[in-house]
Amino acid sequence: MLVSPDDTGLLVRSAAGGDEAAWRGLVTRFSGLVWAVARAHRLANADAADVYQTTWLRLAEHIGRIEHPDRVGAWLATAARRECLQSLRSAAKASPTDDMDRLDITPAVGNPTEEAVLDAETEREDAARAAAMWRAFGQLSGRCRELLRILMATPPPSYAEVAAALELPLGSIGPTRARCLQRLREEMAGISGGLSPSS
Amino acid sequence: MYEPDDELEAELRRLAADREPVPAELVQAALDAFGWRDIDAELAELVYDSLVDADEASLVRGPPGQRFVSFAVGGLTIDVEVTSAGPGRSVMGQIAPPQRATVDIRGPQDTVTIEADELGRFQSGPIPPGPASLRLRPPPGGDGPPIVTDWISL
Repeated sequence: MLVSPDDTGLLVRSAAGGDEAAWRGLVTRFSGLVWAVARAHRLANADAADVYQTTWLRLAEHIGRIEHPDRVGAWLATAARRECLQSLRSAAKASPTDDMDRLDITPAVGNPTEEAVLDAETEREDAARAAAMWRAFGQLSGRCRELLRILMATPPPSYAEVAAALELPLGSIGPTRARCLQRLREEMAGISGGLSPSS
Repeated sequence: MYEPDDELEAELRRLAADREPVPAELVQAALDAFGWRDIDAELAELVYDSLVDADEASLVRGPPGQRFVSFAVGGLTIDVEVTSAGPGRSVMGQIAPPQRATVDIRGPQDTVTIEADELGRFQSGPIPPGPASLRLRPPPGGDGPPIVTDWISL
């Protein structure tokens, strides 16, 4: 679902007036972004859930006070980023888990199909490619993983939202994205070529 | 125009949606968050959090397991010290200028209500970790709108 910036501003103003459907629209539009910020910071599951929930509660309380309603996505990304830093620095909490490494050992398995053998073969290849891609993603540098994980949100975030989520200059997003996607291709080539060190 | 980067990014996006989807119960919690708005209340915004704002060089972040946060609205401030003991949290607070108030410690599941004394001091027992916000209400016979603080994650 694509929502123009103007529509986002309208959703914020309507929600501020008490329109629950507008709030639902905001959650639909930005839920994936807030979750991606938490995942990008590699928090443990319970901490990621706290960040996600606290961020939405905070927006609900601020909804009538948002300075730029059309930029509420960046507001949410900034709020979620701040919660992530708080969570990471909280000495009482466990160190972040490496979800990626854990997920490496869980290969994607295609659903059994009643289609032709050819389709099954294609599906196996797709699953293998997905597994290789996920593993390659897990092997990228922290910076690349953070940036790509934000970009991987559904629906796609704007570069302004990505910049807010990572406190990066807006102009650096495009070039860094290109570099990180290239690194991902190289990692994938290494994995399919069997050159990757086994973990 | 064929954009290999866009295609690769879209493939990554499908992968993330498949492997790390937003948990359904969290989406429901985000929808429910709208019901927590207190439209009659004044909002005391978070103005200081030792975990985020403490200067790295000054080393004033305090001992592990202790966190200091401040909220402010108008001329009123609420300073809160959060103590972690294992999975439990407790809060000790100070309202300035000092005044009596009923303090609701709101969480997504439960609300714990305590009283601030005439010096504006309040202290909770153990509360669960997770999102929390304080709501200050005037004492019985008192006047003025309630005050809610920004949500923070305890």
